[in-house]
Amino acid sequence: MSTTSTPSAGVGREDLERLAAHWEERPSLRAWLSTVDHKKIGRRYLVTAGFFFVLAGLSALVMRTQLGRPESGLVAPQEYNQLFSMHGTAMVFLFATPMLFGFGNFLVPLMIGSRDMAFPRLNAFGYWVFLFAGLFMWASLPFGAAPNNGWFGYVPLSDEQNNPGLHMDVYALGLLFLGISTTSGAINFIVTALKLRAPGMSLNRVPLFVWAIVATAFMVVFALPALNADNAMLFLDRRFGTHFFDPSHGGNVLLWQHLFWIFGHPDVYIIVMPALGIVSAVLPAFTRRGVVGYVLVVLAIVSISIISFGVWVHHMFATGLPQLSFSFFSAASTIITIPSGVQIFAWLATMLLGRLVLRVPLLFVIGFIVTFVLGGFTGAMFAVTAFDQQTTDTYFVVAHFHYVLIGGAVFPMLAGVYYWLPKITGRMYHEGLARWAFWLFFTGMHVTFFPMHLYGLFGMPRRVYTYPNIAGWAGWNLVSTIGSYLLALGVLLTIVGVVHTLRRGRPAPPDPWGGDTLEWSTASPPEPYNFPVLPRVHSLHPTWDARTAESTGPGASADRVLSGGRRTLLTSELDARQERAVAMPESTLKPLALAGALLLGFTALLLAWYPVAVVAALAVAATLAVWLWPPRLPEQEEVGP
Amino acid sequence: MSAPPGPHARLAGGLLLWYGVLGGAVAWSVHALAAWSLSELACASGSERVAAVPLWEAVGLAVVIPGLAAVGSLLVAVLAWRRTTRARPAGGDSALGRSRMLAAVGIWSNLLFLTIIALGGVAVLVLPPCQR
Repeated sequence: MSTTSTPSAGVGREDLERLAAHWEERPSLRAWLSTVDHKKIGRRYLVTAGFFFVLAGLSALVMRTQLGRPESGLVAPQEYNQLFSMHGTAMVFLFATPMLFGFGNFLVPLMIGSRDMAFPRLNAFGYWVFLFAGLFMWASLPFGAAPNNGWFGYVPLSDEQNNPGLHMDVYALGLLFLGISTTSGAINFIVTALKLRAPGMSLNRVPLFVWAIVATAFMVVFALPALNADNAMLFLDRRFGTHFFDPSHGGNVLLWQHLFWIFGHPDVYIIVMPALGIVSAVLPAFTRRGVVGYVLVVLAIVSISIISFGVWVHHMFATGLPQLSFSFFSAASTIITIPSGVQIFAWLATMLLGRLVLRVPLLFVIGFIVTFVLGGFTGAMFAVTAFDQQTTDTYFVVAHFHYVLIGGAVFPMLAGVYYWLPKITGRMYHEGLARWAFWLFFTGMHVTFFPMHLYGLFGMPRRVYTYPNIAGWAGWNLVSTIGSYLLALGVLLTIVGVVHTLRRGRPAPPDPWGGDTLEWSTASPPEPYNFPVLPRVHSLHPTWDARTAESTGPGASADRVLSGGRRTLLTSELDARQERAVAMPESTLKPLALAGALLLGFTALLLAWYPVAVVAALAVAATLAVWLWPPRLPEQEEVGP
Repeated sequence: MSAPPGPHARLAGGLLLWYGVLGGAVAWSVHALAAWSLSELACASGSERVAAVPLWEAVGLAVVIPGLAAVGSLLVAVLAWRRTTRARPAGGDSALGRSRMLAAVGIWSNLLFLTIIALGGVAVLVLPPCQR
């Protein structure tokens, strides 16, 4: 239910009633399970990814407590291995990417002036698969069967001989299962952004957040197959005796690392890129001007997404490959800092030239810039092969990637949470609580991770469950542990703030910040059909542009109201020329059924119940057949150019 | 209402524009993969030759040819930028605006990719191919 409403002057009461009748879902368990509404799915992604973040954070707290003093016996080495493996795996695969997909799901259709994603049922399916895959992996922890070889699962430490039990089967199957969700989500983003943009939103008028999501989606489509192939081969090696990674039978151990990092380094940008898009979305509202150098920022997004595919060998500088081959990747690793720097300078210039309104989302953006730049500096240090070989597998690396990932992803995500909370919930957050959350999070982050640079340089290796009482290690480890509790307190206050917003927040107006993108022209929270009249876009800042506002006013043409069913507008890929209206699907339980059948199949494979796996495969095939059976569609409405 | 772009703006759309935008990226991808795999495979087999060609020359070709392709892409992007600027109509034609933006992205990205290829080329001059 919306707390505010912005009925457009260009649409009559009758149209509004018809739109509501077609798009609204009555509250019931069936409706809850069968919804295909991108906003509800986006919210679910955010909540579920947040839940996995808390679980991964709690794992980290146990680890930091264990490392707070030397020779501590809080957890056994086997437990510690599972904790750090699940922490990394969950943070990368079950929190960072899905959280950003959550933002994308909620926002992309709203930002481009559409009524839903291009494939709403696929969208719902992606969410259910993500939820089930996450539970599939986390459920292994209480049984002591969680992955125990790091988030990167290096072979030969993960092969059957060196790592018996279900641990790495959970890892391989869990990530293969999750990959279905990520791939389907990425394809959906690409098609949505290319085909469902509001008329007039040509490529040079696409919001930077949408550019970032689309670039990320392309990266996922190209990078994820390498990880899927890796995990499929690992599972076949472990369970069925193939020898992809076994040198004694003609396999190659390094093949794992090559394939993993062909995925893994782009994945860093898969995580960071949409977050940078959030920064570009938040800044205009709090600087009262558009981001400086729109074209340069787009260039940076596109360049980073391409160059990130050519840096994977910098994770393998210590593997004994020829120096000449290192140099090609060293060059790319160094050059990628240029587009990253371009974005940073564009944001700094925006803040310099704009009129700053120092609200919490902007505080998190500033926190992001400080932290991410520090992480970027140490990243550039790793591009130097000699330095990399000296510090690889020490806590210096742990410090670096936490600066990059927390700085580059979590700070912007929190900026995004506070920025869009009024739009998502229809209520304003508590500014005081949010400021406390920011300062605790910021302080905790730096107190935890900065000392890791030091004891990394002092030689402390990563992935150790304890350490001897060595000067320079013990004291700084204690500081890190204290910092981690501050950080956790910041996260806790954020959760308290969100709950407070939902229960006690004052009603939010449609546009509390003066944002420049189309989601702010809708009600807070948006109506189920998003826009009573699909807008016609005339500039890069549509809500600051009178002509775009007029396009939904009294002069709105009927072909952009589309109240005769669940429909939205199809436009051309490059210039967003109006093509025709397309029917959107109704709510359905098929996505849930298909995801459930897949869960059964993956569980059966894990537990070696192969007959059950065959039954599950048949169930998947049957569900797909029912899903794809051509429905009787109403005649499609032609819309003039 | 915008004026038609005219013959000078033919570069505003079509394959040539996409060459100007993405040519450098493709050239660099080819360079990285070709130069790296030539070096890896030859050195792993204990040889410093690829077929009959010495490894140094073979890797050099994997630098020069993509480098020339990136230069060509840069020139096309510059040409597209100049032509779309000249043909810029009074009202904001979204197609022309889009092409101008893509041309600008092409110029900057081609410079970036050309730099990476050049740095790869420097490495070929400095390092013996199979040194570990």
